[in-house]
Amino acid sequence: MRDSETGTSLTDVNLPNARGRTMGFAALAAAGLFVAGCAQNAPQDTTDPAGESAQMIYDLSWPIFAIAGIVGVLVISVITFVVIRDRDRGQPIPEQTHGKPILEIGLTILPALILIGVAIPTVGTLMALNDYDDTECVVNVTGQQWWWEFDYPVQDGCGGITEPIVTSGQMVIPADTDVLIRGTSRDVIHSFWIPRLNGKRDMVPGRVHSLKMQADEPGIYAGQCAEFCGLSHANMRMEVVALNDGDFETWKANQLEDYESPIGEQALAGEAAFVANCSRCHQVDGITDADGVPIVSRPDLQVYPGAAPNLTNLMTRNTFAGASWDLIDQDRRDEVWNADPDEFGALYLAGVEDSWFNEIDLREWLRNAPLKKPMYADPLQLDETDGLYRGMPNLALSEDQIDDLLAYLLELK
Amino acid sequence: MAIIERPASDTLTYSDMDAAVTATSSYGYLRRPVETTGWRSWAFTVDHKKIGIMYGVAAMVFFVIGGLEAGLIRLQLAGPEGTVLSADKYNQMFTMHATTMVFLFVMPMAAAFANYFIPLQIGARDVAFPRLNALSFWVFIFGGVFLNTSWFLGGGADGGWFMYAPNSDTPFSPSNGVDFWGLGLQIVGIASLVGAINLITTVLNMRAPGMSLMKMPIFTWMAFVTQMLLLFAIPVITVALFLLMFQRSYDATFFSVEAGADPLLWQHLFWIFGHPEVYIIVLPSFGIISEVLPVFSKKPLFGYPFVVFSGAAIGFVGWGVWAHHMFASGLGPISVAVFSVSTMAIAVPTGVKIINWTLTMWGGKLWFTTAMLFAVGLIVNFTIGGLSGVTHAVAPSDTQQTDTYYIVAHFHYVIFGGGVLGLFAGFYYWWPKIFGKCLNERLGKWNFWLMMIGMNMTFGPMHIIGLQGQPRRMYQWTEARAGEGFFNLGFWNLVATIGTFILGVGILVFLYNAIFQHRKEPAAPIDPWDARSLEWLTTSPPKPHNFDRTPTVHALDEVFHRKYEDVGEGDQHEYVLRTSLEDLVLEEERHADAHIHLPAPSYWPIVLAFALPIMAYGVIYTAWLIALGAAIAIAAMFGWALEPADAEPSDFDPPATGGESSSKELANV
Repeated sequence: MRDSETGTSLTDVNLPNARGRTMGFAALAAAGLFVAGCAQNAPQDTTDPAGESAQMIYDLSWPIFAIAGIVGVLVISVITFVVIRDRDRGQPIPEQTHGKPILEIGLTILPALILIGVAIPTVGTLMALNDYDDTECVVNVTGQQWWWEFDYPVQDGCGGITEPIVTSGQMVIPADTDVLIRGTSRDVIHSFWIPRLNGKRDMVPGRVHSLKMQADEPGIYAGQCAEFCGLSHANMRMEVVALNDGDFETWKANQLEDYESPIGEQALAGEAAFVANCSRCHQVDGITDADGVPIVSRPDLQVYPGAAPNLTNLMTRNTFAGASWDLIDQDRRDEVWNADPDEFGALYLAGVEDSWFNEIDLREWLRNAPLKKPMYADPLQLDETDGLYRGMPNLALSEDQIDDLLAYLLELK
Repeated sequence: MAIIERPASDTLTYSDMDAAVTATSSYGYLRRPVETTGWRSWAFTVDHKKIGIMYGVAAMVFFVIGGLEAGLIRLQLAGPEGTVLSADKYNQMFTMHATTMVFLFVMPMAAAFANYFIPLQIGARDVAFPRLNALSFWVFIFGGVFLNTSWFLGGGADGGWFMYAPNSDTPFSPSNGVDFWGLGLQIVGIASLVGAINLITTVLNMRAPGMSLMKMPIFTWMAFVTQMLLLFAIPVITVALFLLMFQRSYDATFFSVEAGADPLLWQHLFWIFGHPEVYIIVLPSFGIISEVLPVFSKKPLFGYPFVVFSGAAIGFVGWGVWAHHMFASGLGPISVAVFSVSTMAIAVPTGVKIINWTLTMWGGKLWFTTAMLFAVGLIVNFTIGGLSGVTHAVAPSDTQQTDTYYIVAHFHYVIFGGGVLGLFAGFYYWWPKIFGKCLNERLGKWNFWLMMIGMNMTFGPMHIIGLQGQPRRMYQWTEARAGEGFFNLGFWNLVATIGTFILGVGILVFLYNAIFQHRKEPAAPIDPWDARSLEWLTTSPPKPHNFDRTPTVHALDEVFHRKYEDVGEGDQHEYVLRTSLEDLVLEEERHADAHIHLPAPSYWPIVLAFALPIMAYGVIYTAWLIALGAAIAIAAMFGWALEPADAEPSDFDPPATGGESSSKELANV
């Protein structure tokens, strides 16, 4: 919680008399208590903005919280005062008055004036937030049960993108740049929400909604699908990774490097297992069969939304399965998340190395995905969904196959 | 037949009216029930008081069910990665918790009060259409039970109470839960709609002589506005549910994106209903505390016309704010700006009410009974809910707050703080009127403080949890997103769970008070609170015909002015008790009306209501059941239309000795 602004605003209010001052202090104390009672470094804290849009929202919000707080303290103080002063102490029955119209009208106009004062900046901020003219970079965002896909179309923006890049879970953007998100959904309504960067926007099938994203500094910004989207809604997360311009160029170049088959024996076996078991749904760009023919996934034949995460360069990301689990271990995660903005880029671009690979979660996932993340992936339910899974089914892989696959996946970067 | 009583019209006797509207002879097998004791006297009753009590009991049962669902939700969320419920069960739990609390507890409990007290407050002997009243109760019961049978038939609905398309469609919600939900709410909606028509007619046509609209008790006014909202809101949700039914059961494509549908259609339909619904939930409670506060302050409601008109204003403006539930839906900035400003506008009449309640107490002679405590508790908690409402009328802020626990905090302060606390004020205030015994005040105070502390511990921390980024409707939360420090989101989630159980204990105290302690209480005096409005001008509990003599009304707060006289001079007021309420009621008995005709009970409302869930099961399982249900419904409608106006004199034991009229005379009971 940011407390400094709230604090000053309350002391700045010039209350005329002693009772007013008492109430001011009470409001201040309440605000102070509230602030002291909050979590520190919560990754999705709306009161800790880290980008232009979120900052605009916050700048609009806190004075309104303060006004609401003062009004609340005033009203409750008056009620408390009346309740104590006018309790039955044997006084005579009071005058049976039905009210004083002048007082009533005055007390109707007063809140109306306060609300007009609130409405004007609201509309101004709203229009500014929806002004996308100055965006310099476009990312297409697509939600489906229960993960986000990010694709970077060919464009002059984002420092120039010559071939499309498709990734998932983590959206990498250049820092200090206005990015235009164009979002939709392949199945039900999802909502894209990175609290420290901007408010949320629903991503609705059949519609394309826009949202501006900008991060002041390099770093990692947590988000979560905010519109209830079915069984595993709680496991649909995403992160925005902001890199400085040089690091962003490095990231782009790496994403577009040609695919090379691994060298190690186990990883090669893993590649074969991947082709046999995974490539029906999961694309790895550049992978070919023995004859050199590119292998193209056809998730539309297998899963309901017709898409599965593209796993090209998987290990340049930190998360998998809808950003619900980490590919890096806890120590490394702490290091990356708490890095200084200057050092963040290098740490992130190092991707996943053997020494900090979080093998446990990925192994469990490969063993039985629907056990780890609830999904409608039960073969017995297929008749209800036109023979299509939603999410990854249990592939009944052997432990050897899983070992091979892990060795192979670790090479994808 | 419903007898529209107009005691002022001496030219027409009731038996003449019967002859004009119904067949006088019975059809032999079509009789009207006459039992006044036993289960039949409840199942076939058309007495608004019995129906009101049944509404209350049934709503309380659903309240307990919805509360258990809430308890399970909070248990699941007490710690990270909760495992009390599976994802699937959790999604069903929050969907059914909201559905149960809104449609099966708060609305019918408000209907219980409206049913019981509107006729009493306006000096009528029953509602305008007594059989329709019974129908609406039984339809509600069967609809609510039908909805809850889904638990045993493959699981409850799992799409959230807002049931956004296309997540509500069969591929995404393959169990029958959503079918039960859509059909159950259509049935319950019929109950609300029938009830609304009935009560609106009652209020407009059956007020006692002298009771102009601006002398009408404030609870009746607020309940009347509520019924007007229901009259227009229920058809909207019914249309939406009807489309959903065809979408899921008969392969229609109203919400199929691949067929060109726009999923936002459902959102508009749902919230055009859903926002007025908020006022449907809170206005009856506002009415209740607007009765309670004057009584226990010994002052009239401050600014009665302002409270009436602000209620009516809420009733109108409430239709123009629905899209504030959709600020993140992608409506475009112009629409969002308009709805943002209109939402702020509705805060004004709401604020007027809070100011008037406070000024009612100002300079009064406050008596803190449990009812009064709940009323003051409502003002405080609803103020908090109203102010947090203003913070998300600010659309840009709302894009950060919507679908987080901040919203959960807000609407529980409104619905629980503004709605449920008012209903509890009503229980304690009107219990002696309904049952002739007061609820125990000592337990009542435990009840109040446990609920007050419990609700603030449960919903208060949710403001923090939400603003710090925890979305709603997640079956698990994770440490990774909960922040650091002692007061992280985990701490507050645990506090909220503990609060829920304190709240639960408070409600158990109420149930103990109402069910067990109640039996040990002595009979209440006829005027335990020194009350002010017309429902007290009769015995407690009221006789079947409510009033021995139809009262003539001269003032707002009629009963106060009958009891007290202002003997002060000029600006000096001094109120002296002239007549006690006992004497006033005895006076009424002495001047009882010679002929009091009450509507006869009927077999058909419960039969007709029973047909609806059968048809609904038919939609889900097999068309034959639809035919069966339809046959029962048609038979019931014919029975309803053809049954005689009254029971045969020979049906009574001992047989009634009516003269030319076949009605049961209740004069001089």
